[in-house]
Amino acid sequence: MRVHYLASNRPVIVAAGRTCFGEHYDKQPEWLMEEAWLRASEEACIERKDLEACFISDYFLLLTNKLGLEEGFLSELTELHVPMDFTRSFSSAFSNACNAIQSGKYDLVLIGGMEKMTDRLAKIRDDLMALGDPWSYYAGGTPEANHELMLRAYVKKYRIEGDDFEKLNLALAQISVKNHLHALKNEYAQFRRKITVEQVLEARKSAKRLLGMYDFAPISDGATAVILASEEVGKKLTDKPIYVLSSASATDYLSYPARSELTGFISVRLAAKRAMEIAGLSPMDIQLLEVYDQSTLLEMIALEDMGFCEHGTAWKAIYDSCLNYKGYYEINGRKLFVNLNGGLKADGNPLGATGGAQIFEVFKQLRGEAGERQAKSDEEIRYGCVLELEGFGTKAHVHIFGRESP
Amino acid sequence: MSSEPIERRISYLGDRLRGRRCLICGKEYFDLRDYCGNCGRKSFGKMADIDFFFEKGKLELCTLVNEPTNKFRKFGSYVYGIVSFHDGRVRVPGRITDMLIEDEEIDYSALEGKEVVPRFRRRYSVGKSDIIPTISLAFTFADEYYPHQEYVILKPKKEYETPGIVGYGFYTSRFRIKEDGLERAVPFIDEDAITAAVEAGKLALIHSGVDHSLIGKVYVGSESNPYAVKPIASKVAQVLMLGEEDEGVQGVDAIDTEFACKAATSMFKDAVALVNYPKMGIQYAMVIGADNSQAAPRDCPGGELDFFVGFGGCAYIFGKTDVIAEVEGWFSCTSDTPDFWRRDGEPYPMHGGRFTGDPAYFKHIRKAAKKLMEKMNLKVSDINYFVPHQPNIPFPVKIARELGFKEEQYLPGLQFGRFGNTYSGSSPLGLAAVLDIAKPYERILLVSYGSGAGSDAYCFMTTSQILEKRDRQKMTVRYQAENPHIKYVDYYTYRRLKIGL
Repeated sequence: MRVHYLASNRPVIVAAGRTCFGEHYDKQPEWLMEEAWLRASEEACIERKDLEACFISDYFLLLTNKLGLEEGFLSELTELHVPMDFTRSFSSAFSNACNAIQSGKYDLVLIGGMEKMTDRLAKIRDDLMALGDPWSYYAGGTPEANHELMLRAYVKKYRIEGDDFEKLNLALAQISVKNHLHALKNEYAQFRRKITVEQVLEARKSAKRLLGMYDFAPISDGATAVILASEEVGKKLTDKPIYVLSSASATDYLSYPARSELTGFISVRLAAKRAMEIAGLSPMDIQLLEVYDQSTLLEMIALEDMGFCEHGTAWKAIYDSCLNYKGYYEINGRKLFVNLNGGLKADGNPLGATGGAQIFEVFKQLRGEAGERQAKSDEEIRYGCVLELEGFGTKAHVHIFGRESP
Repeated sequence: MSSEPIERRISYLGDRLRGRRCLICGKEYFDLRDYCGNCGRKSFGKMADIDFFFEKGKLELCTLVNEPTNKFRKFGSYVYGIVSFHDGRVRVPGRITDMLIEDEEIDYSALEGKEVVPRFRRRYSVGKSDIIPTISLAFTFADEYYPHQEYVILKPKKEYETPGIVGYGFYTSRFRIKEDGLERAVPFIDEDAITAAVEAGKLALIHSGVDHSLIGKVYVGSESNPYAVKPIASKVAQVLMLGEEDEGVQGVDAIDTEFACKAATSMFKDAVALVNYPKMGIQYAMVIGADNSQAAPRDCPGGELDFFVGFGGCAYIFGKTDVIAEVEGWFSCTSDTPDFWRRDGEPYPMHGGRFTGDPAYFKHIRKAAKKLMEKMNLKVSDINYFVPHQPNIPFPVKIARELGFKEEQYLPGLQFGRFGNTYSGSSPLGLAAVLDIAKPYERILLVSYGSGAGSDAYCFMTTSQILEKRDRQKMTVRYQAENPHIKYVDYYTYRRLKIGL
């Protein structure tokens, strides 16, 4: 296995910018992109003419906004004629950008992500299903149904009953409460308000399901930008570059019901394992984690799939950590800061831009520039990790970042 | 706007639940895969066609969907989950249908693990001008109204001189409305004349044991086809795989017929003639009468029908092997009598009421019955069962008495009070009820009536084989009439379900 291909010439992040997530009914998607880029470029002190290429992502902007080819409208807007590539997720764009930098093709590129979901609010859940898994859609599935089924499968497989079942339910509710708490300190977050466990439970009760409104990430608009450079160029632009130690992805069937594993994502397991291998790290080394909490359940499942907790046990660690929450989960005696930006639940989830917000958070945290929400730990925070999904675990991307190249 | 190619592909796969099995490793797919993902190149040409249409599945996991996507909004709330077939070798998403979920608490863990049967239904709502999407990823519990029944193809035992019925099936939904002591069948929201026709045909195949690929022609009579142009029969042929399939095309002739409530019975004689014509080489022909009987709401013009309409489909397979009832003779009569009509583009039929009784129903039934009995030299006492068209109770009773029939002759076939007027399926339903109970060598006189107007009279003589095939069908008329899983709905729900998606 070519484990060491990222060990040399590691790309570095020199700047990151983003917009607030939420509803931006008065803004065109490209204005949001422009806003995120301006913040990032200002930080890096570069001009758009310095860019050698753009790697941009959106999940379904063509469908929701009917703007024509994204490359075209961005080129027109920016008067840039550099190569541009579009992918569905920020992480895909990021991965491609890493490859390009490492190959020596470019030294400075922009990775951007945007989504404008609220423009098509009335049809968005049908769109999400039709794009996510058509056969589940034809059979009556909803974006929420798979989460519910996974939770039922989990409870059955690990025989979680009685008090334990109550604790699991509370642990999932605490995830949402915790993420909202984090978002209070995030000036870009969609929801900057405290919620209570009771509210989460009440929403589940009125939904008549195991997961309610407060368990799911919202529909959002927003844009994010990351400026990636070769180590040489990056070091000239900033004295605090953040290294990309690894970037890995894996895939699974489109249709969740047809998969062999129903209590987690094979794609996440493979991508996380590979990312750790490339970075030469183990989950024990990771202190910061931004996971893709489309639902509270997926935050819990991610801890298991990525190797932080044994399968079937993450809820215990979460439950215990949240009884008297100190800002992090305590897992096996170690501190793990999870979703410090509020996660998808409270920060927002504008699909194509979401991964950018996750990377933005780890970038800021590792540089010690996260302000009020800066992770506080007695040990030096050296490594951060990001998990982004496409579809319901159809694709998983895991990136590991470090303050220095080991 | 529908995409015809996408619709065709989804329906082709999803209506029949087609799949393939790798002959090397045994892995199964709900998809027409040319190769197995595990075995790769060496599996090309080694994938066997399978389908789950007649199979029993298991509901592995389920949850409540009470905030559906837009296209499912008219369903309200429903149970949705993962269904497995063949001991978990294949898993598919599925919606549990035939459930009206109000406020009751549902114990999902009690539903998980239960056996389910795929049902052919409408998929979801679309625009009025779109292709009607269908799918069989709708399921009901095997221990409820609709039992799982295997479809076993039997080698014919006996050849007959006279062609006749070799199998039949009556299908109606589990929902009823009860008014003034009369029960009428109500479709679930995802049912219509198309789905009823397919379900009835499926039951007839199961009962007959006939090889589906030997059916050379299928006729579907209906006056509630949701399409003005596009046959129900093509859907039936494709889903039931009638005739030999070659490159996605079924080697069968399929045609829809329309003549109000006699659209199906009219074709019995054509089916009989076809299977009896030696040069045709057609062994079996299927005739289906299916209707989601239409009526305007009761406070609107034409609304008086709203007290009588039912829902259901009835399918008959005609042939010359293992016949259960020989067709002894027939007589049809026709006149241009405008007693009931529906103009193109109008949702509901009209009838002035002037002609309904005497010059229409009674005149034609009387004529056809008398002429046939005359032709065959039959007395009333030569006939064991009399089955007239049944748009209500008084009409069939009146004509039966007038012709001299006694209660024991006409009551077994009188099913209006349990299912309502199933239009094209009405007298065929009465015939099915009689065939369910008839002994060998009994004579049945069926007289249909179609507004517009005309009647078809048929004489059937049961054979000894009627008894040996009886066990093959659990979904008898009586089973459906007296089923403990029947759900009764109020008037508002009845209208909502009837109007459908």
